[in-house]
Amino acid sequence: MTSMQDTRGPQRSALPRRANLGYFLGFGAPGLLFYACFVFAPLVLSVGYSFTNADAFLPHTKFTGFHNYVRLFQDPDFLMQIRVTAILTFIIVLVPNLGGLAIAVLLNRQGRLYRALRTVFFVPVVLSSVVVSVVWQAMLADGGLLDTVLKSLGVDDPPGWLSDPSIALYSVGSIASWQLLGFCTVVYLAGLQGVPDELLEAAAIDGAGRWTRFRRVTWPMLAPALTINTVMLLITGFKTYDFVQVITHGGPGSGTTATVAYSVIQTGFTENKTGLASAMAVVMLAIVAVVSSVALRLLQRREVEL
Amino acid sequence: MAGSVAGVERAGAAGTAEGAERDGRPDRLGSGMRAGRRDESRAPWVRPLVALMVTAVFALPLYLVVVNVFKPGDDISGSPTSVPWPPTLDNLKAVMDRPDNLYWAGLLNSAEITVVSIVVLAVLSAMLGHYLCRTRSRFARLTLLVLLAGLMIPPQVILVPVVRILRLTHLMTTLSGMVAFNVGYYIPFGVFVFAGFIRSIPIELEEAAALDGAGRWRTFWTVVFPLLRPATASVLIFLGVWIWNDFLDPLIILGPVGGTTVTVGVYRALGEHQSDYGQLFGLMFLAALPVVIFYFLLQKHFVKGLTGGAVKG
Repeated sequence: MTSMQDTRGPQRSALPRRANLGYFLGFGAPGLLFYACFVFAPLVLSVGYSFTNADAFLPHTKFTGFHNYVRLFQDPDFLMQIRVTAILTFIIVLVPNLGGLAIAVLLNRQGRLYRALRTVFFVPVVLSSVVVSVVWQAMLADGGLLDTVLKSLGVDDPPGWLSDPSIALYSVGSIASWQLLGFCTVVYLAGLQGVPDELLEAAAIDGAGRWTRFRRVTWPMLAPALTINTVMLLITGFKTYDFVQVITHGGPGSGTTATVAYSVIQTGFTENKTGLASAMAVVMLAIVAVVSSVALRLLQRREVEL
Repeated sequence: MAGSVAGVERAGAAGTAEGAERDGRPDRLGSGMRAGRRDESRAPWVRPLVALMVTAVFALPLYLVVVNVFKPGDDISGSPTSVPWPPTLDNLKAVMDRPDNLYWAGLLNSAEITVVSIVVLAVLSAMLGHYLCRTRSRFARLTLLVLLAGLMIPPQVILVPVVRILRLTHLMTTLSGMVAFNVGYYIPFGVFVFAGFIRSIPIELEEAAALDGAGRWRTFWTVVFPLLRPATASVLIFLGVWIWNDFLDPLIILGPVGGTTVTVGVYRALGEHQSDYGQLFGLMFLAALPVVIFYFLLQKHFVKGLTGGAVKG
């Protein structure tokens, strides 16, 4: 710590090595130590475990090479989990993005009314997904609040929103979309406020209608907002866990809503198959990393072209 | 949540005054307002009406929770949408008087974990951000990259080894273990926010302080850190909400023995009260209340922190 009292000035290159070491130990090291212990080392360990048959119930851990990975890609359950995750992510990227844009355009006006309505749309974003899950569980359960309302409106046989295997996944996707909609709305509203009025005026004078003005002037200028929303939703979609854990437990039926994230936790903590769970986790991370960085690159290139 | 429903009603009352207020003022906010208004002048009531209806549909689940918290159990299944009159506080009382003390114990744990985590995170990530931005070495550049890559690592990917490390250090099922994990897991976000700000602070300020005889430590705390206030606010607000709302990490790390946070408490109560919506909603309402109040008080900061990058500068 004494070297931090160093008064020889901030020109780092001119400082002797010891001063830099003090700067590192005082400022850099504490934060990095936590990151190393709880993110970096676990990540390396996860990759390591994935090449072994590590299991809480087996005393001897053996190196098994790519065995876990080969097994996973031949396992219809795992392929199903990837499919479920992909469908869910698709819904989660599409619905809040479109809905958020529509709401942002609708609420892009000044005044107390619109300010209040914007506030309402953001409330689910600050709620825990556990709370959101419980709210929607109460709404959508068989004989739940929605069914009661529907019955009073004369619908006698409402579908099993969460109990019908062919519907449950879409219900979970809708619940997640409901929570994320407000995030997208706020980001698009900020983008809309960056569109200069003069440009829209000029387009209107040139005879452009509402749709043309939106398509040719507003939409291109929302490119950075689209990038932020899409990448955020992609990452959120791939790791969907809370809704599945709280609402459906992977069901109804066999794994109709079990995402990869959900299954990693089940395999790792309920079945205690550390090696296999780690392999799933590594596959999951690889998919998240590749898809989100490709999406980021494509969307950013689009921003530049405009 | 109570606030949001009240907000809708208040907005409804203000709706008529709205048109008059809008016409008298120059527009500073929305884009396309002037161009848009030409189309809108034909039917000025369409947009507010549509906006109100869409918001009402969107907020229906929130409305249902809030009204049913203040209703006796029988009325909830019978007439879920009715306004609770006269309102009852029985559900909230039942939650607070639970024999297992789930609510108060959870609230205390949540508060402790959240406050300690975000204070440590703000301090450590500001210092780490400073170190990485003000050091021009290959090591610093590489470290920043590795750190920012951590932003997209889902907790599921690392939790199995994290539990092993926590067991090894005897921190498993303790609040300290939970805080330690939070600090490691969220520090990339903190550094990400602080780094952007630190780069915008002229280095001459720090050089001047150094010439006056202040060491790095003093320069940082008396000159740099006060200038980082907006970033510090963002970090405290966002991480506060995330950590308060966190579900999977405390579920695994605190486990059934280490107590529970208020958020995990809602999940645990779900199993017992499948049909007793009154108590379940009461617990949920009380668990979410601190965050929702926090949001209503600091709305501007939420929006500012979130949309920093949405508009191209």
